[in-house]
Amino acid sequence: MKKAMTGRGILFVVLSLVLVAIIAYGVSTGCCQTEGLAPVEVREYEGVDLSSINAFRENSIKGPQEIDVESYALKITGLATNSTSYTYDEVVSRYQHYRKVVTLDCVEGWSVTILWEGVLVRDLLAEAEPLANAEVLIFHAYDGYTTSLPIDYVMDNDILMAYKMNDVILPPERGFPFQLVAESKWGYKWIKWITEIELSDDASYRGYWESRGYSNSADLEESFFGD
Amino acid sequence: MTNQQLVRRTIHWLLTVLVIIYLLTGFGITQYRIVEPLTFGLLTKNLAHRIHINLEIPFIVLLVLHIWLLPLLKRFKLKHLSKNN
Repeated sequence: MKKAMTGRGILFVVLSLVLVAIIAYGVSTGCCQTEGLAPVEVREYEGVDLSSINAFRENSIKGPQEIDVESYALKITGLATNSTSYTYDEVVSRYQHYRKVVTLDCVEGWSVTILWEGVLVRDLLAEAEPLANAEVLIFHAYDGYTTSLPIDYVMDNDILMAYKMNDVILPPERGFPFQLVAESKWGYKWIKWITEIELSDDASYRGYWESRGYSNSADLEESFFGD
Repeated sequence: MTNQQLVRRTIHWLLTVLVIIYLLTGFGITQYRIVEPLTFGLLTKNLAHRIHINLEIPFIVLLVLHIWLLPLLKRFKLKHLSKNN
C-alpha cells in the first residue's frame, strides 16, 4: 500500500514537472502573445481557381533576395530620351494598376495560376520615350539574372510588372519588389527582383538561361530548348 | 548462362543504370545549384534537361521488358512445348 502511494507520488511529481515545462515552453515561444497575422491571399477570382503563392518552386540562380525598399531604385536606361530612376513608391503610386489572372509555366514541369496586380511596362516606357532604334528590353535583376524580350511583345501584350500576387504584396522569395508577368512565355522570362530595364538595339542579346541553351523566344507553344 | 538469363541480366543492369541517370538528371534540373558544382560544371541544367527528356521512352521500354519479359518467355515456351507434344 505504502509502495503504491510512493509510486503515485512520483508519477504526480513527474506529471507536474511536465506540465510546468509545457507551460514554460509555451510562454517562452510566445504562444499567448498577440502577433500580426500573415496576409491572406485570395484563392479564387472571377470563377477561376488560383494556385497558392507558396506553390512555386524556388529555382532562382542565387536564392531569394532581400531588397531594402528604402534604397531600392528601378532604373530605365539605354536607348531612351529620358533615362529615369524610380523609387518603389513612385512606381506603385504614379501609374494605373491592372489585374489579370495568368499562368506561369516552368520548364521544370510545374505551373501556377495567379492573380497578378501591377503596372504596365508600356506605361513606364512611355515616360522614358524609347528611341526608334530600341528593339529589345533587357531586364536586370538584383541577383545578376538577366533576360530580354522584344519591345513590340511588351508593348502589344499589356505586359505587367507585378507587385502583388493573389492580393498579397510579393514576398521576397517571389520577387519583391517587382516580377515580370511575361504571359505566353516560359517561366525563365518571368524575371524577379527587377532593378533595371535597359532599352537596347541588340536583338541577339541572350539572358542568363538563354545563353545556357534555352530558347531566346521562349514561346510556350514551342520547345524551350535553344533557337 | 543461358540466353534467357543473359537477356534478363542485361535488361536488369541497363534499367539500373538508366534509373540512376534518370534520378541524377532530375536533380540536375531542379537542384542545379548543387549538381552543377558537384559535377564540375559537366552536368548543366540544360544538359540534364535534354538527357532527362530523352530517357523517358527508353525507361518505359526497359521497365516493360523488365516486368513482362520473363512471363512472356515462359508462356511462349509452354505454348511451344505443348505444340511439340
